Amino acid sequence: MVDPILAADGLCKHYYLGGQKITVLNDVSLAIGKGEFVVIAGDSGSGKTTLLSILAGLDLPSSGRITIAGRDITGLTEDQLAPLRNGLTGFVFQAFHLIPSLNALENVMFPAEFKKDREAREKAEKLLDRVGLLPRRHNFPEQLSGGEQQRVAICRALINGPEIVFADEPTGNLDSRNSEGIINLLLDLHDDHQTTLVMATHSQTIAARADRVIRLHDGRILGTEANEL
Amino acid sequence: MNLRFLLREIAHSRGQAAVFVLCVALSLVSIVAVNSFRRDVRGVIAGDARSLHGGDIIIHSHSEFNPQLSAELADLGREKGVVAVDTREFYSVARKADGAASLFSNIKAVDNPYPLYGRVELRSGREFADVLRPGKAIVATALLERLGLAVGDPLLLGGATLEIVDVVSRESLRPVDFFNFGPRIFVSTADLAAMDLVGKGSRVSYETLLKLADQTRQEAIVARLTAKAVAGQEQVTTSAKASSRIKRFFDNLLFFLSLISIFTLLLAGIGMQSSLAALLRRKMKTFAIIRALGATGWFLLRHYLLLVLLLSALGCGLGILAGLLLKQSFAGLLVGLLPENIVLGASLRDVVEGMGLGLIVVSFFTFLPLSGIEHVKPAAIFRKDARPGLRRKSTRVLLVCGLLLLFGLVIRQLDDVRIGLYFMAGIFTLVGLIALLIGGLLKLLARCTIQTLSLRQAMRSLLRPGNASRAIVVTLASALAVLFAIYLLEENLRVTYIESYPADAPNLFCLDIQKDQQQGFLQLVGGQVELFPVVRARLHSINDRAINRETELQKRGDSLAREFSLTYRDTLLPDEVVTAGAGLFGSNDRPGGLPPVSLLDTVVEMGNFKIGDIVEFNIQGVPLRAEVTSIRSRTKSMLYPYFYFVFPEKYLQAAPQTFFAALKVAKGDLAQLENRIVNKYPNISPINVGETAAELGKLMEKLSVLVTFFASLAILAGGLILVSSILATRMARMEEAVHYKILGADTWFVLRVFFLENLLLALLSGGAAVLVAELGSWGLCHFLLDIRYDPIWSACLFLVASTAALVVVLGLLSSIPIIRKKPGRFLREQV
Repeated sequence: MVDPILAADGLCKHYYLGGQKITVLNDVSLAIGKGEFVVIAGDSGSGKTTLLSILAGLDLPSSGRITIAGRDITGLTEDQLAPLRNGLTGFVFQAFHLIPSLNALENVMFPAEFKKDREAREKAEKLLDRVGLLPRRHNFPEQLSGGEQQRVAICRALINGPEIVFADEPTGNLDSRNSEGIINLLLDLHDDHQTTLVMATHSQTIAARADRVIRLHDGRILGTEANEL
Repeated sequence: MNLRFLLREIAHSRGQAAVFVLCVALSLVSIVAVNSFRRDVRGVIAGDARSLHGGDIIIHSHSEFNPQLSAELADLGREKGVVAVDTREFYSVARKADGAASLFSNIKAVDNPYPLYGRVELRSGREFADVLRPGKAIVATALLERLGLAVGDPLLLGGATLEIVDVVSRESLRPVDFFNFGPRIFVSTADLAAMDLVGKGSRVSYETLLKLADQTRQEAIVARLTAKAVAGQEQVTTSAKASSRIKRFFDNLLFFLSLISIFTLLLAGIGMQSSLAALLRRKMKTFAIIRALGATGWFLLRHYLLLVLLLSALGCGLGILAGLLLKQSFAGLLVGLLPENIVLGASLRDVVEGMGLGLIVVSFFTFLPLSGIEHVKPAAIFRKDARPGLRRKSTRVLLVCGLLLLFGLVIRQLDDVRIGLYFMAGIFTLVGLIALLIGGLLKLLARCTIQTLSLRQAMRSLLRPGNASRAIVVTLASALAVLFAIYLLEENLRVTYIESYPADAPNLFCLDIQKDQQQGFLQLVGGQVELFPVVRARLHSINDRAINRETELQKRGDSLAREFSLTYRDTLLPDEVVTAGAGLFGSNDRPGGLPPVSLLDTVVEMGNFKIGDIVEFNIQGVPLRAEVTSIRSRTKSMLYPYFYFVFPEKYLQAAPQTFFAALKVAKGDLAQLENRIVNKYPNISPINVGETAAELGKLMEKLSVLVTFFASLAILAGGLILVSSILATRMARMEEAVHYKILGADTWFVLRVFFLENLLLALLSGGAAVLVAELGSWGLCHFLLDIRYDPIWSACLFLVASTAALVVVLGLLSSIPIIRKKPGRFLREQV
């Protein structure tokens, strides 16, 4: 494996519901190389989304360590994690999660504006143009279809040129035609920018296109399969 | 700072933002109006204290000044740079020359050069001092109108016949005259002897006013005169320190309006808090997304702080503007009660103070919802991560600080620490009580098993998470309870004292009957009328602790510093019972012991008296020590004669005294009897109590309009919380409506569910309000005012019905866009 950009060691995550301890992740360790496209596969409830959110620094593990680009993020506070989320990683959600009060262009520009990037607008328009949504840039999320919203969400995840993009079931809410388009778009962007892509999905078709598939079951890694390129 | 994001956020939540702005505005409207009005009133009434009191130094007594004080005043009058003027003021009856008509009037006898400060403006435009001469009278317009007289006509005052020479158009010493029992008549002091109206023990205000060329001498002269004055009987004060009845009236009115304003402010504050919390709840996912995109907690907090500040500034601006406009309406609401020369304007101070006040209120009520933003985690995208802000120590500390600040604000507004604390405690108790009641009822509803589908769904909707049902009901019920309690008290007072004037209650009081007029008076009125001796005295000390006049005069109600009417008799009145002590005078009326005195329970509460206490009176210069031997209570209304202090006859028999009679006269004979009395005994003052009660009724009506208007603003706060809650739960309601429709329900079913939900809300609010208001008003009427209580059930019904109408209409109007939402479109948007 090339130099790992993301490494997790002994990750555990527990919740307490009604006084009962529920283990979502149990001793998960993995390493992902720079520029890799890794799929985290598993059935519903296997812990894919939780693992992805912890790897992306959106959630904290109950125990274990995570290193991104050589930096241990485990003990960082929310505000210390903020610049990492803004510059180093991008996240594409299953339910898109665009900001409803902002239009498509503003949604894409938003992370770049945190960095006070003067070229935020140009970059956002370029990305939207690439995904075919430049004419719709002034539309608000509720005025866009699911596929269009997800394309905007992908542009938003890429605007700051992240080294790793996390995608949680990015096609989970889309029909097959839109799903194909979104996956192609993500892979094209991955190829163009050599961005590391970590995707949670239970789609065998998508998994077949990944460099590597990590299979989760009941919060544990069942195994890792490398696909032939 | 991402301004675009900020503006977009405001635009996206404009409904909720509008409710927030309205709540901020509403919280300020009445308080800004009251504060600004208070400044205007004080500016006119007390702004120039010298014009209001007529001198730099005022020497006042209810009996002639003692010889030493008179000599000192005479010496002062001869000093250079000191001008003195004597005045005598009393009530008596003015008659037409033919004796056909008479009118109870306020007579003021003055010397030249009255007034030393301010002006008495005359209709003719002439100078007062040039017009008022011995043998002449200057009268108020009302006297001419009511007696059918004109300038130039003769007027009988006691034994003197005076010529009316002019009419008073404005008097700076009496800017309003609505609580004077009779119209003003100015006469010269030289005519007092001929009038012969001032007898021993008569109710006369003796006043000497001093004007000093050198103001620095004020304190020294006050000290010099005080040394010669009889303590507790003769008061020497400066115009800056002197109290005034008019000022006290407006202070009390504004104080009461301040109480309602603060109540509205607190309710609107709850509305503010609830609408902001609802808005932030709706935004929680957006916050999590923004955090997932790399924003810090501070980024979110500072943007929302600015958003709240912008909306608050808008709300403050609106509130101040509305408050100042509302103040202008006071002129109409209080017509006849305001000084003619009052200017209801707006000042920069009103705006600055309003803004400051708004900032404090907004800070306090938005602190809790805002404090949670900073800690929203990106993981909230995937699951609800509720962490109540109150768990943090810093939040709790800041909340306590905010609460103290709010207490400080209330105390400053009311200008009275004790009442401020009582008020806040009362509000917390009221809200707490209603919250408990509502909490219990909602729990009970949650457990109910209901077969009717629409009603069941309505109940479930009422208990929907984030619905703020409890906040709405508590706020609405609190506002309604206060408003309704005021109404109930007002109505019960009106019914007791004005409308149902007891059939056997006296309707004519005769004051100042002299000792030698007793027999003649009894023959004149021709009946078995009891004459009550009245000895005027001041309470000097209780258990050798002198009465603190300054503290007493600051009290809002009755005070121990005023002059009391003592009486003597050996038996209880028919409507009296002894509640403590053995009989009226116990066994203390023994040779060698202190004179016994019986106290009425009303005065006992004023001074915390108990059996065995030693009280000392000053009876026009003569001290009288007595021991409290009994406490009495009364069983009839205040329309029957009563006395706070009753002595055995032998101790007061020789004191200067007048007699008081309470007569029941047929309505048609009243005027005639009044004329007969004053024609024979001009010094006797007959007061038509029925007429006075009617005048009081009119005053109460005017004040009640103002109070109801103010209290209605509190209801509006409850309405805003309702709208805010509907906006906050819009998504949940829409989801429910769509699900109902998908499952086959028609629009009417959805409407029925929303209608029933709002109806339940209204019934809970109205019901709780009625219950609390009835209990509170009954308690006040029964235990404090001691009057018969009528719950006025028809008003209860009206309150509940109108609340239901208001809530249902508001609720359904806000739900129309939700009902009209097409299921397909909604589901597509949710993908």
